[in-house]
Order: sequence, then structure tokens, then C-alpha cells
Amino acid sequence: MGWVLFFLLPSLLGLLVFIAFPVISSLVLSFHEWDLLSPARFVGLENFKEIISSNDFWSALGHTLYFIAGYLPSVIAISLGVAVLLNQRLRGLSIYRAAFFVPVVSAWVAVALLWKWILNPRFGLLNYALALIGIEGPAWLFDPASAMPAVILTSVWKDTGFLTVMFLAGLQGIPTAYYEAASIDGANAWHRFWRVTLPLLSPTVFFAMVISLINSFQVFDQIWIMTSGGPAGATTVLVERIVKNAFSYSRMGYASALSWMLFLIIFGVTFVQMRAQKKWVVYD
Amino acid sequence: MTREALNNGSSTPLRRVKRATLYVAVVTLSLVMIIPLLWMLSTSLKGDQYVLRMPPQFLPSPATFSSYKQLVELLPIGRMFLNSLFVALATTVGQLLTGSMAAYAFSRMRFRGSGVLFLIYLGTLMIPFQVTITPLFVLMRVFGWINTYQAIILPGVFTAFGTFLLRQFFMTIPRELEEAAFIDGASHWTIFWRIILPLSKPALATLGVFAFMASWNAYLWPLFVLNNTTMMTLPVGLASLHGRYLTRWNLVMAGSVITIIPMLIVYLLAQKHFVRGVALTGLKQ
Amino acid sequence: MRRLIGLLLVAAVILAIPMIGFADDPVTIRYFTFSAAPDHLEDLDQMIAIFEAEHPNIHIEVETAPWGDYWTKLPTLIAGGQAPDVFELNYENFVTYASRGLLLNLESPAADDTAFNAGVYYPRAYQAFQYGDMQLGLPATFSTVMLFYNKDLFDAAGVAYPQSNWTWDDAVAAAKQITDADSGVWGLHSPVQFWEFYKKVAQNGGSFFNSIDGSVTVNSPQNVEALERMVGFINEDGVMPSAADMGGMSDGDMFLSGQLAMNVTGIWMFSAFADADFEWDIEVEPGFTENATHFFANAVSVFAGTQHPEEAWEWVKFFTSSEEMAEIRVASGWELAALANLAYFEDYLVLTPPDNRNAVFDSLKYSIVPPVIERQNEMQDAVGLLLERVLLGQMTAQEALDQAKLEIEALLD
Repeated sequence: MGWVLFFLLPSLLGLLVFIAFPVISSLVLSFHEWDLLSPARFVGLENFKEIISSNDFWSALGHTLYFIAGYLPSVIAISLGVAVLLNQRLRGLSIYRAAFFVPVVSAWVAVALLWKWILNPRFGLLNYALALIGIEGPAWLFDPASAMPAVILTSVWKDTGFLTVMFLAGLQGIPTAYYEAASIDGANAWHRFWRVTLPLLSPTVFFAMVISLINSFQVFDQIWIMTSGGPAGATTVLVERIVKNAFSYSRMGYASALSWMLFLIIFGVTFVQMRAQKKWVVYD
Repeated sequence: MTREALNNGSSTPLRRVKRATLYVAVVTLSLVMIIPLLWMLSTSLKGDQYVLRMPPQFLPSPATFSSYKQLVELLPIGRMFLNSLFVALATTVGQLLTGSMAAYAFSRMRFRGSGVLFLIYLGTLMIPFQVTITPLFVLMRVFGWINTYQAIILPGVFTAFGTFLLRQFFMTIPRELEEAAFIDGASHWTIFWRIILPLSKPALATLGVFAFMASWNAYLWPLFVLNNTTMMTLPVGLASLHGRYLTRWNLVMAGSVITIIPMLIVYLLAQKHFVRGVALTGLKQ
Repeated sequence: MRRLIGLLLVAAVILAIPMIGFADDPVTIRYFTFSAAPDHLEDLDQMIAIFEAEHPNIHIEVETAPWGDYWTKLPTLIAGGQAPDVFELNYENFVTYASRGLLLNLESPAADDTAFNAGVYYPRAYQAFQYGDMQLGLPATFSTVMLFYNKDLFDAAGVAYPQSNWTWDDAVAAAKQITDADSGVWGLHSPVQFWEFYKKVAQNGGSFFNSIDGSVTVNSPQNVEALERMVGFINEDGVMPSAADMGGMSDGDMFLSGQLAMNVTGIWMFSAFADADFEWDIEVEPGFTENATHFFANAVSVFAGTQHPEEAWEWVKFFTSSEEMAEIRVASGWELAALANLAYFEDYLVLTPPDNRNAVFDSLKYSIVPPVIERQNEMQDAVGLLLERVLLGQMTAQEALDQAKLEIEALLD
């Protein structure tokens, strides 16, 4: 028991003080109205009642789910594919791996401007390329129908390197002996991927899915910078509502309540994932 | 022909085509990823007036280093750079140490409540930091830590992300290794330090890169907690380039280039450790 | 007895010495600003140097944050007990802080200070920062929005320059002759957003609220008509680029690259446009049935809980009314100080471009203030969203403004 404490305590203490305490504070705040400038006022469950009955919350939840549905499968599948691709002996391999990491380390502020240009309906690279193959591209960030797909596209592009790095690390942990054995048994590349790579990579894939899900429910920066939640509210997601209420509308209590609604949703989904992992994740 | 020859034949035309396609795919994808850096560079080399012409020109003409000069004159870039470096290194070391120790406890030790405690750890990742930032600020004030290095560093050290990542990785290490060591009378610390950590180089390198990056690019928290320019980090200092009415994009891009380069260097250094864990091969038959 | 009195006297003197010492100890005033960084930090430092030379016991420490984040950081500082001594406020946010008793009433230091004369300020600006019968801020700068026009584009199309008596019909007619959408040149830009909207409805004789009973009149016929005209600049008239046409470029950038013949924007853009490679000038903005223009002002206020009210007063007085401050501002083009001194304005007026700087003061004759309520940001966002819907064709102007009335009334509860 002493050992458990020894290993756990530094992290746990720090977590309690710097992370758990503010989190608990926000829970307390969710039962208050607080504009930061005057003392907080206790309002019980009022905030939660307002959330459930407001159009804002459900609409923001819908947009968030739309983002996740487009983003999550894409980013995981593409990162996995790229990681497998880069896990071979290629000349200049480190350069390619570094290239994939460039979007990850770039700040959204700089990258958003570039993407606004690429997605420009008239002069942008994307619609230009589409026109070459005879498709008239949509107005991307300026059309409510295509704005969220545009955000998803840029997000997948930016985060692929993040997951690729993780999958590459995981792939390193798979002994070549397994691949050799599979080859001898006549397995082709596809079989090797499904029967050897994926199962042995499943802990990492699980991690990637859980973390990506937690993060994508909280998507914010790119929307704030590229669309400000528009056009006409088409990309307004939950954290955008939280930030607006916390700092722009001086309703920190209401924003905290929104955060805890979000927490319940994320926690529920993650819990289901953790239970389901017994069915497909292979630990040694 | 033996099977081996079939599998290893490296100069059949089919193989060459496959190889070539592979290269084309990898190079194209890499270019798609790298275009922003090239474009950032290009914009940073433009003069003040040519920054936002439509349609955008990719090659600046004339190309000039004036944005970099102006940037250095306007802001204490050197000082901000050193601050960012110090903070990021401290945060990374902190995360690696505390995260790996906690991950060891969660993955290699059995104790009551470990499941619940781990869920709590995960739970802390599910609250957007924009609502925890104000209580945290009040806490820093209570500690008297406003405008100090520890205030920027410590909250970033204890994030549950590192513990989660390393726990997943530790769980893939076979137990036989420890069992053998226990029988030989090794303590937990010895196993942790001599066996688990060395085998986890890829994961540690990965976490190191992510921790460094999160700290390096952190903006909102340092903005709140720092008051004066001597302790300012790069993102906070560079944000002042966004004026209320007009933004000087060539300077912003110059700042972005300066910010990205160290991150890429860190990544390249860490890449060496994304190498096959040789010890694991040959373990199973 | 005498010994006792003597001891008491000595004790009193000994106790008084630290007090005397404190009065001379340097006092630090923390000043939080959004307008100085990054281009005018040197100007601010110059002003501070002059001030500190005149007041050796006061030291000014500057803290800055970019505009968007300033309004996040300031409440956080206050909530965390770390409020700055002096901070900048603009008109829309002033009410929020004033109504919560966070600002020091400057009436009493002003009354005690024989060297202070409130008449030095531009009256409109000084009054803007009164709350009830308290003076809760001193005006630092003020600005207005004008019609900027590209003379070269007008000359090339052979169209006469804008006049101060233009209506929007005149402006649109001129714009139609210059607009060539295929080459990316547009005649006009006047954004469809909250600030432009409340001004345009005033130009059409409408308003957000009834000035007598305070009821919400945002969907009046004049307002609906004004909104339809605004949106019509893009759709029916075809003289203004849509958001998609602008593709993320700001109107300022488009004007600078010669793509806009007329742009409705603020006088703060003078220094940004100074390096333009074409001739340009300004004129009073056109109206519909009458003229209405913007009046924007920034103030500096003292935190009600400051430990150093006297020193803070000295700083805000200097920063808003001293001649040295005014000279530095004019010399570096750092906004317009809110002074009534005509001589100061003469210095400002002889600078070019633009030539027609007199129009700035003509414009102020028609100035209006924004409609402000307690839940201001929510109203701005709600109205802004509805305006976007009209632009996208999701709602008609009438539907949008009827909806706006409902939402604003809900916010007033």
C-alpha cells in the first residue's frame, strides 16, 4: 500500500489542487448566477432548467454531434492508414513524419487564415481544383450547409499528425516476429493488417478513440477563429455557447451548468466505450 | 521457387510499381501537410503592403525580412522565447515524471478504488477549461502566485492526459518481465525505473512531444496569470499583434514561423525514440 | 504630568515619521489598456515618462491584452481580487461596470483639484461617462464613422465625388457605375451588422426603443425598410460584395487593395490607409431621410477598490487632458483625444490624408449613441444572428425584426 501511495501521490495531489478543485468549483458555480463582477447568487437548479428548455442548448448539441460524426471516423481511419504507410523503410522517412506533424504544432490563428483562402469560393485552391474536374464547389465557410463540412475538413487535416504519431508509437510495440509468422502462413498485407496489426494496436486505437471523442465534444478554437459559430449559427457548438455565456454575457454560473451538462454527455459516452473495450481491445 | 524468394523478390516490376505508388502517396500527403508552413514562410517574407492581395500570391516578390526586423523591434522576442522554453521544459519533465508514476500505479498495481479513481482522472478531461480557469485564477491569487512561473507551469503538469496515455501503453507490456524481477527480489521502484520506463521510450517520447507542445502553444492561461512583459511567453506576446481594427499579417506569420521551428526541432529529436522496442522482439515464439 | 505629556509627544512624533515616509514612498499604479499594443506602446511610454518626471513618487505599470481577450481578462482580474487601479473602457462596456459600483466616483477628486477643469473635454464625450450624477470615467478618445472613397476609382469611371448632402440613393447610383464584380471591384461597402443597423434605422427615422415609454420598436416600418435597403445593396443593387465575395478579407484590406470605391468605416483607419497607393478622401456618411452617424468613445476609469485613489486620479487626469498627451497622439496618429480645445483640432485638421478632415466634425453633429441594455452582448449577438439570416435569405426583414422584438423583450425581463 505504501508503494501505491508513493507512485500515485505526486500526480494525485497535483490533480486535486490544480485540476479537481477548479472543476468542483465550477460545479458549485453551476447552481449560481455569477457575472464575475458582483457576488454570486444561489439559484438552485434554475440554470439546468433553462438549459433543457432552451433551443440554444439542443441546437448546439446537434451541431457538436454533427461535427463528431464527420470528424471522428475520418481522423482515426486516415491516421491509422498514414501510420501504417509511414511504418516502413522509406528513404527520407523522418522528413515525411515531421511533415505530418507540422499542422499539429501550428497555431490555429495562422492556419485558419490559410484555410480561409484555400476555401475561398472564388479564388481558393479547393474550388479551383474541383472546377478542374468539373465540379462547382460550394461557398464553404459562407454557406450554412457547407460550413461544418469545411470545419471538419480542416480539423481532420490538422489533427491527423497527432494520432499518426500515437499510432506509430504503438506500431513500434508490435514485434516483427508476429508479422513473419503471419507471412509464413500465407497472409497478405490486408490480412496482416486485420489479424495482426489492429488487434495488437487496439489499446492505442482505444486510447485514440477515447481522447478524440473527449476532445471533439469540446471543439472550439477552429470554430471561434474561422466561423465565429456562423454563418447564421450553423457551426455553433457547445463550448462556443459556454465561452459566450461565461465571458461575453457575464453568466459564469449558466456557463458552468452548460459545462456540466456537456460533462454528463461525455462521461456517459466514455463509460460506454470503457465497458465495450472488453469486447475488442487486446491487452497482453 | 521458395516462398521466401517470392516474398523477398524486390525487383519484380509489380513490386517496383507498388513502391513507386507508395512514394507518390507519401510525398503528396506530406506536401498537403506542409503547405501551411511554406505559406506562413511566404507571407512572413512579404512587405507590409502586399500581404493580403486577392488572388493570393504564393511567391513573395519582393521578398524581404522586414517583418522579422519589425517583430524584434516591437516585442522582446528573445525574452519571450526563453520564457516559453523554460516553461515548456519544466512542464514536460513534470508531466513525464508524475504521469509515468501514476500510470505505473494504475496499470501494474492492484488496489481498491483504482477503477473509480481512474474514472475521476478521466473525468477531469471532460470539463472545458474555459470554466475552470476563473476558479483556478482565484486559487493562484490565494497562493500569491499571480505573475509567477509556478502558476503557469504547475496546472499544466498535472493533467490526466499523460497518465491516461502512459497507462494504456504500460498495459501492453507483458507481466512475465516483472514477475521474473520480483522473484529476484526487485522493488517496485527498480522495476519501474529499470524495466518499464526503458521499454516505454516510444510512449514517453510521444507524451514528451505532446506535453511540450501543449505548454509551448498555451495562450489563455498565461494571458490571465501574467501581468508584465518580462515573463511573457511567445503566444501571449504575439497575440498583441492582432490589433482591434487591423492585423499585421506578415508580422503574425513571422511570429508563427519563429514559434513553430523549435517545436519541429523537439519533434525531430524525439523521433529517434519512435524506434522498434528491440527488447520485445523474440520474446514470444 | 509634564513627563507624561513629553513622552506622548515623543511617541506621536515617532509614530508620525513612518507616515511621512509613506507619503513619499513610490506608489505603483497598474494601468490596463487595450488600445496601446502593439503600435503605440512607445507613445504610451513617452507619456508615462513625462508624467513620472512630474510626479516622482508615482510609477505607472502598463498591462495590455488584445481587444477580444481584454473583456475576458478584466472581469477575471476583478473576480480574482487582482483588479488594476486604472483601466480603459469603451462606451458599451462602461455601463456594465458602472452599474455594479466598480468604478470610483471622480467627482470628489475633481472638485478638490484646483488644477482641473472639466471644460477641457469635448462635452459629448465627458457626458457619455456619467452614470446618474456620478462621473465614473474621463474620456480618453473618441471617434466616428465616415464614408471613405477611392478618388482614383471615381475618376476612372467618370463619376462625381460624394457630397455631404448625399442620400443612399445617390451613393448607390454612383456605386453602380463603378462596380465591376468580375474584376473584383465593388462600389460600396457598409456591413450588415448591429452597429451599422442601429445607425441606418436612425437615418430612416426609426429606432430600437421608444424614447418615451421605452417599449421595443425594433420592428417598426422605418426599421424594416432600412434593413431591406441595407441587404439590397448586396442583392438587388449588386454594388456591395457579399461575405462570400469578400472571402475572409476585411473591408479595410479590400479598400487598401483598391477593390472598394466607397467604404463606411471609422476614422481610426486613417493611419492604416495613409500608405495607400491611390488618392482617397472622406465625407459625411449618407442617410435615408435624415443623417445619423456614430459616436464612439473610450474612457479611463479608476477601480472603486483601489488603494491609491489620489495617484490614480493624477494619472487619469494627465492621460486624458494634458497637452503633452495631445501632442503625442497627433504626432503619431494615435486616435483623437476627447478635447474641446479648437487649437488642438487645428493640428489634427492640417494633417493629410485625408484632405477633408473637417468632415469629421460635421459628422459629429448628427451623432447618436448605441441602444444599450443590461444584457447588451446578448442583444448584439441575437440581432446580429437575425441580420445574418436575412442576408442568407432564410428570413425576410419583417420576420427577422419581429423575432428581434420578441428576443429583446425577453432579455429585458
